[in-house]
Amino acid sequence: MAELSAFNFRHGSSVLHGLDVRFKLIFLVLISFASLKAYTVALSVLTLVLVASLLHAQLTFKSILKTFRYVFVLLAFIFIARVLSTPGSVVAEFKAISITREGIYDGALICWRLVIVVLTGLAFVLTTRPSEIKAAVEWLLNPFPFIPSKRIATMMSLVVRFIPVIFDQARETADAQRARGVDNRKNPVYRLRKLGIPLMRRTFERADKLAVAMEARCYSENRTDPWLCARLRDWAALFVVICLCMFIVVW
Amino acid sequence: MNIIEIKNLSHRFADGTLGLENVNLTIREGTFVIIAGPNGSGKTTLLKHLNGLLLPTTGTIRLAGLPVSKNLAKSRQMVGMVFQDPDSQIVGETVCDDVAFGPENLCLDRSEVKRRVFKSLKIVGLLDFEDQKPHLLSGGEKRRLAIAGILAMEPNVLVFDEPFSSLDYPGVKQVLKQIISLHRSGHTILVAAHDLEKVIAHADRLVIMKDGKVVKDGLPSQLLGELEAFGIREPCASRLGMEVQSWLN
Repeated sequence: MAELSAFNFRHGSSVLHGLDVRFKLIFLVLISFASLKAYTVALSVLTLVLVASLLHAQLTFKSILKTFRYVFVLLAFIFIARVLSTPGSVVAEFKAISITREGIYDGALICWRLVIVVLTGLAFVLTTRPSEIKAAVEWLLNPFPFIPSKRIATMMSLVVRFIPVIFDQARETADAQRARGVDNRKNPVYRLRKLGIPLMRRTFERADKLAVAMEARCYSENRTDPWLCARLRDWAALFVVICLCMFIVVW
Repeated sequence: MNIIEIKNLSHRFADGTLGLENVNLTIREGTFVIIAGPNGSGKTTLLKHLNGLLLPTTGTIRLAGLPVSKNLAKSRQMVGMVFQDPDSQIVGETVCDDVAFGPENLCLDRSEVKRRVFKSLKIVGLLDFEDQKPHLLSGGEKRRLAIAGILAMEPNVLVFDEPFSSLDYPGVKQVLKQIISLHRSGHTILVAAHDLEKVIAHADRLVIMKDGKVVKDGLPSQLLGELEAFGIREPCASRLGMEVQSWLN
């Protein structure tokens, strides 16, 4: 079921749920960029703040880790590549391959920064309805005359809407294949092919059904969007986030 | 007054298959019609023409006198369709969001959207679930949510495509009760089904389809004995020579 994926809006009454979506979108951009300049102390502070925010938004620690299991695979590749390609003082050596102290530090730092970016995105998606994202993107793109803001905003909100659907399909397809003993096949290419093709087919079929259902309910780019209203707490949160980002960059 | 008028409707799919062939049908406002037929007989194809999800290859469909193909938005507001698989119909992140989806698409005022959401959830008895995730609802509740989503658009005609498929007994009773109550409140009801047992006792009219054609059209009591000839199971009570009873009794 789609709700098992954390990349999905969850109704709640946390501080993040209550903030204006335009501000949250700005926070997402600011924190993501600032984290790329962050080092260990700043990253520790950011991690603490983000994990606390996610827990406050009623996401459990277990589901955060569960969400990250696929991200960890990507991070492992990045870490290994960095460890093996950075010159410096050698910690271990095997034939032509050498692992350096600087490589380990650089790899860990880059992976940590990426974790922060994903955590920020998770906090955003978890506390924001796709319809609010559409309204915010449209509002932010409105001043640019040659950008089709409504269309871009609609596409973005639909992408966010479809992420849990795709996760849902992947899990169901993998379960069905496991029930038929796919674990006995050790070839990862075979397994990927057997998972990928039906997954894509089912995702497109489901997307098609959803599109018809949306059409039956008169879906269009022009619709009643959520009411966007900046309050004092949004400006206060913006001030805190700017201070946090300055601390990250300076530290 | 005829709310639906279908004249010489034929539909050919992109692969050349004939989905509907020369269908003629008029439906009076406020009636409860069952469209029966085996799988592939064209029931869903016919229903999708009523709100312009499919357009005719030849022929015309009029809703309250207006041609559907020229008034798509109005048709979709007038004819609310509850799909066979409620999961594919749910688009909102919460029950409340999902019901609001239709009225938001009609560009209604936010206060009006809120009023309609409240009213629809109250009608289907899901007011206590408004902040719940739709995927966590039971089968019967999901189907009622789909009905609420449609009701919020204030349609005149309600179309149900196999509304009892994959529902348990309490789920069937919940949905049936809802359909009957909507009929009593003045809505025109169309139900596509291949198993008539659960709903036939409440229908005013039975239309039987086969191979994309309307092969029989009349009172349910007159057609019950002929069902099996068209690949539709005759209700148990009728087989035993008894009067068909409602599942709600």
